[in-house]
Amino acid sequence: MPPPATTGRAPGPPDGGWGWAVVFGAFISIGFAYAFPKGLAIFFKEIQDFFGTSYSEIAWVSSIMLATTYGAGPISSVLVNRYGSRPVVIFGGLLCGIGMVSAASCTSILQLYICVGFITGFGLALNLQPSVIIIGKYFLKRRPIANGLAMAGSPVMLCTLAPLNQFLFDNFGWRGSFLILGAILLNCCVAGALFRPIGPATASVKSQMAEEGKSALKEVTEDAMEMNSPTNVPMGNKTEDEGGKDCCEKINQYLDFSLFKHRGFLIYLIGNVLMFLGFFAPIVFLAPYAKHIGIDEYSAAFLLSILAIVDMIARPTTGIIANSKWVRPRIQYFFSFSIAFNGTCHLLCPLASGYTGLVVYSIFFGLAFGMVCAMLFETLMDLVGAARFTSAVGLVTIAECCTILLGPPIGGTLIDTFGDYKYMFIKCGAVMVLAGTFLFIMNYYNYRMLAKEEKERKVKEDPKQDPVRTENEGRNNWNKETAQDGPELEPLRQEQEGLKKEVNGTNEV
Amino acid sequence: MPAAFSGKRLRLLLCLSLSFSLSGGSPADPTMTTQDVNKSQANFLTKMQAGLNESSPERMMATQTVNQQTHGSPSDHLTLGHNISTPGPDLATKVFKQASGGNVSDVTFVEYEVLLPGVSGTSVEKNITLDHGTRIELSCRLDNKYSHLKSLQVTWKRGNETVRHINKTETSWSIQLRISDNSKLGSYSCTLKGEEEISATFHLQVPKIEGKEKPIISYEGDTAIMICKSFGYTPIAWTWYMTNGSEQIAINDTLLANKYVIHRISANVTHMKILKLTKEDSGVYWCEAAFELGKSKGKLKLKVLSLMVPLKPFLAIVAEVVILVTIIFLYEIYSKKKEKSAEAEKEFDQVEQLNSEESNGLENSSARHRKI
Repeated sequence: MPPPATTGRAPGPPDGGWGWAVVFGAFISIGFAYAFPKGLAIFFKEIQDFFGTSYSEIAWVSSIMLATTYGAGPISSVLVNRYGSRPVVIFGGLLCGIGMVSAASCTSILQLYICVGFITGFGLALNLQPSVIIIGKYFLKRRPIANGLAMAGSPVMLCTLAPLNQFLFDNFGWRGSFLILGAILLNCCVAGALFRPIGPATASVKSQMAEEGKSALKEVTEDAMEMNSPTNVPMGNKTEDEGGKDCCEKINQYLDFSLFKHRGFLIYLIGNVLMFLGFFAPIVFLAPYAKHIGIDEYSAAFLLSILAIVDMIARPTTGIIANSKWVRPRIQYFFSFSIAFNGTCHLLCPLASGYTGLVVYSIFFGLAFGMVCAMLFETLMDLVGAARFTSAVGLVTIAECCTILLGPPIGGTLIDTFGDYKYMFIKCGAVMVLAGTFLFIMNYYNYRMLAKEEKERKVKEDPKQDPVRTENEGRNNWNKETAQDGPELEPLRQEQEGLKKEVNGTNEV
Repeated sequence: MPAAFSGKRLRLLLCLSLSFSLSGGSPADPTMTTQDVNKSQANFLTKMQAGLNESSPERMMATQTVNQQTHGSPSDHLTLGHNISTPGPDLATKVFKQASGGNVSDVTFVEYEVLLPGVSGTSVEKNITLDHGTRIELSCRLDNKYSHLKSLQVTWKRGNETVRHINKTETSWSIQLRISDNSKLGSYSCTLKGEEEISATFHLQVPKIEGKEKPIISYEGDTAIMICKSFGYTPIAWTWYMTNGSEQIAINDTLLANKYVIHRISANVTHMKILKLTKEDSGVYWCEAAFELGKSKGKLKLKVLSLMVPLKPFLAIVAEVVILVTIIFLYEIYSKKKEKSAEAEKEFDQVEQLNSEESNGLENSSARHRKI
């Protein structure tokens, strides 16, 4: 009885079906994680008056929240590795809700830092990572589209939260608004409920396989589930992995530090850390810049709305483009191009004079911003593979955390020192163009190295047609491929071949 | 005190001129009077230009005479030229300004000028904010391109009273005022009557205080903070009022120290904290800033809500979340059951198939295997 090759790949992402419900859940989750800190800014003036603090003390609330959301990435990854996405997101949603509800009864700014900053920030971190991770588990062929759609949650939520927050504030004051926002954040639990665990799901698959094939796949899927053992640990059985005698192994079980030896990962990390230095500052300073050159407050706010709307459309569109067969294999180039495009927009901004110029800038900025954000996690998944993505995303976010927080203050210092906004735009533009070029060149190098390794491996494998192919070897093959860096499409084909050989091998026994 | 002195004199002159005007004035020979007027006016003017400062009773008398004589024939004044305006108290004020001595050389007038549009019907307005007593000069200037317009009558008015003005140049006219108290504030307008009428208005006001348009929302038992700011001008004092029905009652924070706390945070900002809020504290509050030249108010609204108000939407949303999560989980369990039963059926079918295959023979199965 022929086991169909596709079901052989049990952790095979369904690329549809319930996956779209998962995308919707991720849409909500990611939307809250990114848009909520920005949406809170509406309450700051009132809170500042209430507690009698300065503006910078209030701004700390937002910074702490953002820092916690990014900094708690590794913890989130560890929890997802251990428990899967669903419980983590539900717990995160509960934490957010509790944080905001307790913030409603705060009597000092310090309590606000803790409730809104730490607790809610941590809850949002527990929302963000698992949502991104589970998309990688549910999609492969259509992953860029899924990523683009899910990341579109951020601008949509921002556009919804901003007027909603204003409405809540006008009717309930800041305390009542925090209470109701706590309830709204509980909707993240709904999103979490949608994250049906996927994995060796497949009781159906088991029953169809031949004995050896079945156990090989079982161990393979369990490896895929744990996804942590570094390549140098022999692919033993499940028991060996769970034993984890060495402490390094144990840590690696939860968070894969061997990623730091991964070429693609390092390239991504350096490029992104550089990029984030200039990523958020222009948004923060767009409205003040507009007011500075004499535009009134409402038109300045409208610029941001234009940005958000263009962003909203750009993200899924980028996902679709990135999924096309011309771009998908070279998605890293597309990513570097969009970063460089973003940088060029900033460099050209000082030339924009008057309101029309700024509107044009906002449109292009929104486009570029959407393109970069849509592919942010897609490219990481592409480089590292869905298997190690969990740990990768945790490590990347904590590294980015520093530069994200540094970006706007550095921009602010530039503006204060020179009294002119153009230096800030030039700095952001230069940094991003640099990051884009770096990524482009390094990815070119990476692709070439991968192609070389591919060739070497093919040459090695052909003579190795042993009559007795043990499961171990078969598994080694498969695992080497999963752990292999490189564009996912290659391993896709490799896996199919490998499995075919396996089955052949078992038959030949 | 020169001010008091000039006040007294002013009043004296006022009374005199009024009494004479009331009596109808003497219908003296127009030509004679106008010539007299001319002379005395000329004298007066030259004396002014010379900048004499003495305050002598003769001067008063001279002007008085002027007042008296010129009053009878207002129409002649108009034909004499645009410099002459109907006599009134302000004329005397000007005299006093000159006469009060010593101030002419260090008088700094703050000048406000308005450029008049040539088009009639459109009225130019200018708002001037004053917080302490100053001398100001308001002038209306006609754009040079309209200088061809002749026979212009210029009048400066405040309400219905005319203010005497001076010709600064051929195309600009101004009045000089000393604003010392609230009564001097108001609207002053210059009107140019030619073929068309062009006018401009200066509004002299105390600085405005902004309150909040949207109500401040707070909860029972909580504290509310109300802030009033004055932009640019420093008030002498701040007072807070609350509205009881239709009256405004001043809030005395020393009397009710555990309920109201009023702080002057900085020169331009005042805070009022209302502690232990209750429903009765809802309403309109006023913050009043006292300036040298007057007072100005800002309005604030306070709404005190009970804790139940936000609790209802909160519970509604929590209920919605719980319902949705339950639905999703139930659906998942249901679809898993369906899958299991479907699998069970499939397995059954497959087992049957296997049996039938085995019965067909081993060769067939191995062939099938190899086909992979």
